[in-house]
Amino acid sequence: MTAHRADPAAQGRHWQEAGDLLLVYRETMGRPPRLGDTPGAAAAAGPQRALYLAVGGDGRVTAFNGHVDLGTGIRTALAQIVAEELDVPLERVAMELGSTATAPDQGGTIASETIQIAAVPLRQAAATARRHLVEAASRRLNRGTDELTVAAGAVRVAAEPDLAVAYGDLVRGARTELTLDPAAALKAVEDYTIVGRPVPRVDIPAKATGAWTYVHDVRVPGMVHGRVVRPPYPGVDTALGGALLAVDEASVAHIPGLVAVVVEGDFVGVVAEREENAAEAARCLGLTWRPWQGLPDLNRPEAALRDNPATPRRLLDRGDVDRALAHAEPRLDRTYVWPYQMHGSIGPSCAVAEFRDGGLVVWSGTQNPHVLQSDLALLLDMPEERIAIERHEAAGCYGRNCADDVAADAALLARAVGRPVRVQLTREQEHAWEPKGAAQVMDVRGGLDAEGGPAAYDFETRYPSNGAPTLALILTGKVAGQPAVYPMGDRTAVPPYAFGHARVTVHDMPPIARASWLRGVSALPNTFAHESYIDELATAAGVDPIEYRLRYLPDPRAADLVRAVAERAAWVPHTRPGTHGGSGDLLYGRGFAYAVYVHGPFPGKAAAWAAWVADVAVNRITGEVAVTRVVVGQDSGLMINPDGVRHQIHGNVIQSTSRVLKESVGFDATGVTSREWGSYPILAFPQVPEIDVLMVPRPQEPPLGAGESASVPSAAAITNALFDATGIRFRELPLTAEAVRAALNPPRIAGPEAPRRRGFLAGLFGAGAGALALVTTLLPWRPAYPSIERPDPAAYSAATIAQGRLVAAAGACLVCHVGPDGASFAGGRGLETPFGTVYASNITPDAQAGIGAWSYPAFARAMREGISRDGHHLYPAHPYTSFVNVAERDLQALYAYLMAQAPLAGAVPETRLRFPFSLRPLMANWNALFHRPAAIGDPDRGPDWNRGAYLVEGLGHCGACHSPRNALGAERRGAARLAGGFADGWEAPALTGPSRAPLPWSEDDFYAYLRTGRSHRHGSAAGPMADVVASLGPLPDSDIRAMAVYLASLAGDATAPRPAAAAAAAPPPGAATLFQGACASCHEGGAGGELVPLGLVTAVHSAHPDNLIQAVLNGIPAAAERFPAPYPSAPPAAMPAFRDSLTDRQVADIVAYTRARYAPDAPAWPGLEAAVARVRGLKPHAGW
Amino acid sequence: MQDDRRPIANDTRLAPVRHVLTVNGRSAAVEAAPSTRLLYVLRNDLGLNGPKYGCGLGQCGSCTVLVDGRALRSCAIPLRAAVGRRIVTLEGLAEGGRLHPVQEAFVAENAAQCGYCLNGMIMTTVALLAANPDPSEAEIRSGLQANLCRCGTHIEILRAVRAAAARMRARGDGGDEA
Repeated sequence: MTAHRADPAAQGRHWQEAGDLLLVYRETMGRPPRLGDTPGAAAAAGPQRALYLAVGGDGRVTAFNGHVDLGTGIRTALAQIVAEELDVPLERVAMELGSTATAPDQGGTIASETIQIAAVPLRQAAATARRHLVEAASRRLNRGTDELTVAAGAVRVAAEPDLAVAYGDLVRGARTELTLDPAAALKAVEDYTIVGRPVPRVDIPAKATGAWTYVHDVRVPGMVHGRVVRPPYPGVDTALGGALLAVDEASVAHIPGLVAVVVEGDFVGVVAEREENAAEAARCLGLTWRPWQGLPDLNRPEAALRDNPATPRRLLDRGDVDRALAHAEPRLDRTYVWPYQMHGSIGPSCAVAEFRDGGLVVWSGTQNPHVLQSDLALLLDMPEERIAIERHEAAGCYGRNCADDVAADAALLARAVGRPVRVQLTREQEHAWEPKGAAQVMDVRGGLDAEGGPAAYDFETRYPSNGAPTLALILTGKVAGQPAVYPMGDRTAVPPYAFGHARVTVHDMPPIARASWLRGVSALPNTFAHESYIDELATAAGVDPIEYRLRYLPDPRAADLVRAVAERAAWVPHTRPGTHGGSGDLLYGRGFAYAVYVHGPFPGKAAAWAAWVADVAVNRITGEVAVTRVVVGQDSGLMINPDGVRHQIHGNVIQSTSRVLKESVGFDATGVTSREWGSYPILAFPQVPEIDVLMVPRPQEPPLGAGESASVPSAAAITNALFDATGIRFRELPLTAEAVRAALNPPRIAGPEAPRRRGFLAGLFGAGAGALALVTTLLPWRPAYPSIERPDPAAYSAATIAQGRLVAAAGACLVCHVGPDGASFAGGRGLETPFGTVYASNITPDAQAGIGAWSYPAFARAMREGISRDGHHLYPAHPYTSFVNVAERDLQALYAYLMAQAPLAGAVPETRLRFPFSLRPLMANWNALFHRPAAIGDPDRGPDWNRGAYLVEGLGHCGACHSPRNALGAERRGAARLAGGFADGWEAPALTGPSRAPLPWSEDDFYAYLRTGRSHRHGSAAGPMADVVASLGPLPDSDIRAMAVYLASLAGDATAPRPAAAAAAAPPPGAATLFQGACASCHEGGAGGELVPLGLVTAVHSAHPDNLIQAVLNGIPAAAERFPAPYPSAPPAAMPAFRDSLTDRQVADIVAYTRARYAPDAPAWPGLEAAVARVRGLKPHAGW
Repeated sequence: MQDDRRPIANDTRLAPVRHVLTVNGRSAAVEAAPSTRLLYVLRNDLGLNGPKYGCGLGQCGSCTVLVDGRALRSCAIPLRAAVGRRIVTLEGLAEGGRLHPVQEAFVAENAAQCGYCLNGMIMTTVALLAANPDPSEAEIRSGLQANLCRCGTHIEILRAVRAAAARMRARGDGGDEA
């Protein structure tokens, strides 16, 4: 368990002041250099003294390291090193990683250098402590040090094992400070008993029980919750600066427990007592931003990178490249393109900040605690020493994600509200704003010489990335948006082969989208080029690709590894592709690649060597690629924890396979469009290859970083295998099915696009305005009824009021007349109509704002004739055309019930319709045309049917939504009655005639649907219909049954004839992947509970996509939230709203895919993207 | 409920309401808006850190809890819908101080790197093995398909699931979910 530390400063003081301690300090000059440092900045920090190790009087050891565990297990490996060197059991060693109050500044945890570099002084500190303890024991036991041995934290006399003293006994009673001695003797590797042995990770038991304290789990007393709102240029920090134009604080006034809206420049955050309310406030906050659409096309990034201003930097110039190129035959000039990719940490970044006693504590998942400390000092104008960063583990990141950004966000909000604030980024924010792994373009010019060897190697690489300044610094204007250029495109830019004529050039350039280092920083793309190109040379020379490499690979350790991996994989030398054949539509292939990951500033240091043999299977029809098996070898020198190294190799293989096969960040002109997992799919369990790991044992060699190396050969090994399978070279990633299919089956010329159908709303409602002009004016105003004193509710019997409540339920009055804050009958709800927004009125008995001054006759006239008390006409959004059929006793009871409600004084917005509908007197003409009572009831039918007809056609006013309306907004009658309409942006399907759903709507289906909100054969009520079902709750079962009887008689028991399976609509490219990532977990995997199968859902089979689009954009509440008596097996989950996660295009693709897959015999919906944009523009239906 | 003068429904969407949940075998009262996601309530009101926020969209599985024995996404479950259901979190799997065999297997196989997805992997496995005590490799992989892991711990996780299944069959407790 790792509870968080509330007071890091106290902890720092403990180590500085407490007794009974043996401490080892290290003295250095200057701090470690940082990326982006100005020259001399590191040295200017002056002499530093930092604690590395402490042995307590209880014999327990605490060791400090400036690097942090990013999920790679270095906490365990570092503890092993300390335990080994000190000869104490592993469980007595605790690691403190990356807390600024206690741990040394060792630079950021980057470049896999923790074990290779940062562990070195730790080991020396342990050796220094051990030497001191042995000497102290020598004095205590009165024996020479050569007579002593150390084991399990105790020093013994070798010849007299009973004569011993434990470390704790040696430490107790004094505080001893040692200075790290780099010359202190280290243990010989042969004597190791802990290092080099597989050791279980120390953190996993707590993580497997929920007891581990990730940064997300830190809670401090008095803490409140913050959310930030980022500018609408997702992932583009160069667009910032003066971007925020206006803030509408009133838009969040309704949020309970809102603490503050904080705005500083372009930085916007909200703070609330409860997390869900902070999230709601962030969603609701009305902000106006400067429009910006300045991003070049980064989906195919080659052109944008070539156009990006750059400074060439020559890393290598050997031989005479130009002359060699002139004589190359054949000449092979190639370009390789790497896409933008993301870390995709499973947990979006989180931090907690608290100002206390003039200082700041930030609990953070940062990768660079000391750099973050400096950033916060700059952001907040505070001295660094008043800022403590307490580092906690977060979700794995593989470079710079949003951990520092959110820490700064939390600090700003905590300062503004004077309380501790926890900020959790959303999934969308992490996806959008994490500094991306940059796209990269590699050019190779070369060819073969007369002997078939490489004639020359002229390599250029473009890497638009830097350190991604902490976002709050840019948002608040503390640092300029002008991006710095970091020279980091040079990792492994120099190829490992002994090309006689070679030139290597890095084009240093600023980022385009926000970008920083991601696992395999620039080396992974550079190696993609190197290792693809040498494969191409081998094929051109007619030589086996591994043999060809070995001819030019000067490094014997590398050659050993290459041979070992080839042998382990049973590599069969071959000189042309297609050696693995195929079966059916599948083609098989095998590819090789090798790399040593060279990291750090050029010329850099080499980490572990790695080589891959990848096996692939390709479906030549669909283009799907599977990596079926990877044999991966790695030479990491001494392995501290071989299990940990193996684990890292697995992780690298799986993650890099994912990157090569699937991953590419989507963009539009405003920024990142991949904002959830559907649009940024990663490898899932079914696609994970079999992995055979070969670890070269080299215990006598120094340990090398293993956190990234095994990723580096991935791309070339897989594309080389794909070449073996298909004979086609793939030089641009990722290898999606669409890309591979297009290469295997060049597309035919596309036919003309199908003509766009007129928007169905226009079709349904017509243009309308012209028709009105024909109507002559008659009786535009009607007389007012005099106002009255509000009737005393006591005048009505309880029975009457109870009856009125049921009438209100059957009439679903609240569906429209609910107040914006949920207050019953307060009105104000806007109903979107083709003519403009109609606001429902306040029908509480308030004399001014409501209907308290209305007599019953005035009320009845309004209900039946659509005329307000003062004589003005109501718009037929108020369904008076249905209420004309309501029985007198029911209307009186309804009046009594309404008069018994609490009066509410809130005024509602004035309805403003588009001309000419804005002229209320015209409604008189309208009424003359369309408003007449219809006879309902049929004496030949039973009482259920007649009761149902009364409820459906009268009080229930189903036709208000389910009947189409004519050009003037009137419900159509006759055959068109109940033949389907629209309400508040939702389709109200036809209630007459056979359903388009695959199963007919039976009486029992209607009953279940109206009573519980769900028919397990058709789907759930959503949108306005959910409100109707909820409203029907108080009605007795017999009334619901009556409605079901009547509705079933209208629908008949057949389904609509299915059109002959015409051309089944092909879903758009990539849509299946999107659906798989965004929807399948619940809709195919059951993670939301028992959903109605999409193939049965009526909305999927409709003529209109609106309800499906509504569901995706705005979500659907859970049954228990909406319905008084939910269907017994209704799932507890709500459908999430994807409005903020998906673009119009992405929603359209998901809807098209759902239609094609689950209603395969229905025609494709045309114009989907426009339909999504239109529905997005509607105010979401807000149910009560 | 029986007051007929009471408006039919007047939940103001964000107003706190008292809910009583059954979590890890205990009853817990919570004051929050009915639409509050169960994940927030478990973490912030009940201090249960096992379930993790990952996406809020039901996609990644980090927030998985058992609801009446099924592995569901607590980020998509409104508080009101959790009332009357049996909820078990990662913290509630152990019995009598002894880890659930699935937890034991994940620990034994070192089946985590950062461990952020671990909650979802374990909870999904518990439900999977309760429904299918002897799953095939394909059934395990498809059962965990919608649980995302970014560190690439899949090999160790698959090994842990197989080991857990074997342990549970050997003990004969395969059918009893938490």
